[in-house]
Order: sequence, then structure tokens, then C-alpha cells
Amino acid sequence: MTAFAPHQLRQTVLRMAYSGSTVHIGCAFSIIEIMSVLYRNHLRYPGDNPAATLRDYLVLSKGHGVMAQYACLYEKNWLTTTDIENYFKDGSKLKGLSDAHVVGCEVTSGSLGHGLSVGVGMALAAKLNKSDQYCYAIVGDGEMNEGTMWEAILFAKQQALDNLIVIVDENGFQAMGKTHEVLGLGSLKDKFIAFGFDAIAVDGHDETALDNALIELKNNKNENPKAIIARTVKGKGVSFMENENSWHYTRLTQDTFDLAMAELEPVV
Amino acid sequence: MRSVFSKAILAAAQADSKVLLLTGDHGYALFDEFRKCLPAQFINAGIAEQNMVGVAAGLAKAGFKPIVYGLSAFVPIRVLEQIKMDVCYENLPVVFMGDGAGLVYSSLGSSHQSTEDIAVLRCIPNISILSPCDVYEMQYAMDQALRFESPFYVRMGKSDIGQVHQGPVSVPVGDLVPVRTGTQNNIVFLATGSMVKTAVTLAETIDAAVWSAPGLKPINKNQVNNIALHTKTLVTIEEHSIMGGLGSLVAEIVSETGNTRVVRMGVQDRFSQKCGSYDYLLKEHGIDVAALLPQLSSILATD
Repeated sequence: MTAFAPHQLRQTVLRMAYSGSTVHIGCAFSIIEIMSVLYRNHLRYPGDNPAATLRDYLVLSKGHGVMAQYACLYEKNWLTTTDIENYFKDGSKLKGLSDAHVVGCEVTSGSLGHGLSVGVGMALAAKLNKSDQYCYAIVGDGEMNEGTMWEAILFAKQQALDNLIVIVDENGFQAMGKTHEVLGLGSLKDKFIAFGFDAIAVDGHDETALDNALIELKNNKNENPKAIIARTVKGKGVSFMENENSWHYTRLTQDTFDLAMAELEPVV
Repeated sequence: MRSVFSKAILAAAQADSKVLLLTGDHGYALFDEFRKCLPAQFINAGIAEQNMVGVAAGLAKAGFKPIVYGLSAFVPIRVLEQIKMDVCYENLPVVFMGDGAGLVYSSLGSSHQSTEDIAVLRCIPNISILSPCDVYEMQYAMDQALRFESPFYVRMGKSDIGQVHQGPVSVPVGDLVPVRTGTQNNIVFLATGSMVKTAVTLAETIDAAVWSAPGLKPINKNQVNNIALHTKTLVTIEEHSIMGGLGSLVAEIVSETGNTRVVRMGVQDRFSQKCGSYDYLLKEHGIDVAALLPQLSSILATD
């Protein structure tokens, strides 16, 4: 069985979303393959300890996609079946946005434009400690509206943080519409390169392409911070959710839950 | 006061390489010695304060001890959400130094003045707020903050107006410090920061007692109540809005327990209108001695 198999992660997300009657399914689905490749092949947790001092950092700056991370933490056995089944129940611990009080979550995000700066601080700490830790920061393309993102990007370059890998979930949507219709960002790859990053654009649902991009960037020990522009589909994996921005806000019914789960059964 | 601050952080950083100083391109001459002695522990984050605080949080999460310096108009005001979510939510040991608090930048206008910093920080959990009045209280404040056990905000206001105390301050955390005693039973002054000296000047005219409050959060509520029990009126004075600062917190404490009247002297709900010297701005806001003396007379008349 493949570890962190995308269809299984999506099914966990659906189970959480259905039992908790929650929103933010689409923006969790767009980062599933990114999460999958990071947890399977890149993130190092010495002793399998999520709090290990010399761990790599995974910062989910676009905290709205947190169910995708919960699905991975569940597979790591850092979250329990009870945690998943009781999502959003009174007195439960998992919130609808990334929260640093949860084991395995590094930052408290949701107010956008925070996580990247904290991640940059952790990458800087690793450099000051002369350790080989990486910081991976998953950010949203909508989140790139925030001025603090560009402050953090300038600072990361100034501090030569080549252990920082920013992964932009470029799903093309933000809360109220398409990103280019709300606050157009143009070419994010060009922008990152202009800010002194090494940047690669890939299909954000192609695990091999993501893996290769991560390997290539990490091999460039040239003091440039790194960026992957991952072109993704909001709601990826379930036909009636794909590119439907309403699934940022829609709750599952029994019917839509069953339909979506059926679509996510692995092809035999 | 500022030299006590810069010496304290230099000593702390020399003793512990995990201590880092971050500034948003402010403090040109203040950190010369630090930059010369410990360049690797000095980070100029550029004119990008919000990122600076997020970075400080990330550094603290990874075991460093960041001191974040800025003008109090920017740290904490501009970076309030970063202080709330990135630092205080996780109770990280980051020390914030807000320089030039109150009306110090009298000639630069409201953008550089800060009379709301205590108010906005007070209701954020986990952060301690210190407001020293002279070199001795500054040392006392730095001794607490540089233990790096939780978030601290040290409010540094007008710093060149001389000393209040005769020697080192060593009261428990949150205690008020007696400055002068008096025979006047109807009024006691509670003041903080730059306004402690003003309180003393006013108190001398009626021989009233004065207490300084270097710690605003936490503050020793029992002590405030005990002081209140022995007077008819508590007069608070601060170079901060009368809303949300020392006056408010004293009123909150006393209102729950007794009948003592609290009169709040400070900046009213208004921006500075004109430009001028520091003394001119105090006068414009009605918190210079000449403006406060008549208020004191009317308080006495209504006691």
C-alpha cells in the first residue's frame, strides 16, 4: 500500500468534513498531492517525533486547507480515529484552521500572511544553528495578496535561506472569485525569480513532478530561497467539486458524501 | 534609560548566544555597541515590521530569545495581530521594546506618537506590560523581561527627564513602588512612566503620596485596593489615553471592591493637533503641571 495515497487522504478529509459538517473541502483537496509527497519523501522527523528538535518544518500558511494535513497526521498516528470522527464536536481539539497547539502543526494560521514569516524565522533559526533542517511552507495563491508575504520573501532572500521551500498552491481561486479577477498576481514564478528565488512551476497533482522539483531545488545549495508554483485544481479528485469555488463554503450531505467517496475509490 | 536598555540587552546577548536583537531599521545610534560586539546576533529586518515579528516568533519556536525593537507607534501597534497570533497564542519568549512611547516624537505628528499601546495590548493573553519611569525601573523591567519566560512589552517613554527613585527597585512582579508619602488623606497619586515625575510635582503642592506602577500587567490588585482603602480619591496620571491604560485598569480594580473615586489624568480621546516641542505637546494635551494643578484643586474642592 502506498503511504499517504492521495485518494485515501481525500477520503479522510471527506469523513472529517461530513462528520463535522464543515466547509473548506476544495482548498484541502488542492494540496493533497503536495502534502502526500512531502510526508512520504521529504519531511524528516527524527525518532518519528513531531516535536523533535532537528525535525524539518512544514508550515501550512494557508491554514484553510488544514484537513489535508490532518489526514496526513492521522496516517502518521499523531492523530487518532476519535480526533477524526469527532471533528468540530464540542470540546474537540482540531479546529478549522491550522493551529500550533496541534501536534504536527507548526503555525497558527488562518489569518493569512502569518505562517510564511514564522516559517522564515524557523528556517533562519536552522541556519543560525548550522543544522540541515528544511522549512517547507505551503501558501495559497490568494494569500499572496497579503503584503507580509512579500516582506517575508524579501527577508528570506536577504538572509540567504536556501533551506526555505515555498510551495504555492496555485488553484486560481480565492474566497470570492478567481485570483486574476480579484487582485491579479500575474506570473508568480516570474515574481519569485525577480525576488531572487529559484522557482519551478509544476502540475501540483503530479506526484513525480512535485518530487523531482523538490529534489532539484534542494540540490541547488546556492543561498537562494526556493519556490514551487504548483498549478492545482480547487476541489481536485471529485468531479463535481473541481474548479467549483462553492466547495470552499459548501457542506456535504449524505448524497454528496456518498458520491464523492465513490469517486475516490482506487481504480482497480 | 536608553543606555540602561542597550547595556542590558548587550549583556544578555553576550551571556547567551541565543539572544538576538531584531529591529525594523530603527535605532541608528542606539545599537552601535551591540552591532560592533555581536554582529551575528543583530538582525535588521528592514522596514517590514510585521514580517519581523513573525520571524521573531519562528526564531523563538526554534529556541532563540528574540528582542524586537521598534518605535511604540509600530511595535506594538502596527504588528498587533502578529503579537497576538504568532507570539502570544503560543506564549513564546519574545521581548518587545516600544521606544518613544507617548508624545516623545512631538514634532513628527500622530504617526509617530503612541497613546494607545497599553490599551490594545492589555487584553491579549500571556503578554506582560512594563512601563518604567527612570533608569532604576528600566533595569528592573529588563531584569524581568530578559528572563525570556513569556512575551513582554517594555514601554519606553520620555527617557531624559531624570530619576524618580534614589536606588535600585526590587519589588515583586506587579507591585507598585512607593515614591513619596504624604499627610494628605484625600488624594493619592498613581502614575506610570514619564508621568511619575509630574505626579510628584503635583503631590508636593498638597503633600500627597505617590506610587509608581512599573508593571501594568500583571498588577498587584490587592495592593491597589489597599491603597484605595486609605484615601477618598485615587488620581492616575499617564502619558497615554485615559482609555485602556493605567487609569482604566485602576478603575476596573477599584470599582469591584470599594467606593474610592478614580480620576484619570492622561491624553483625552483626541489626536495631537499641532507641532512643537515635547513640553508643548504635553501642554496641548493638558497633561503638563500647569494644566493639571487647577484640576487638582477642583478634585480637592469636591472631596
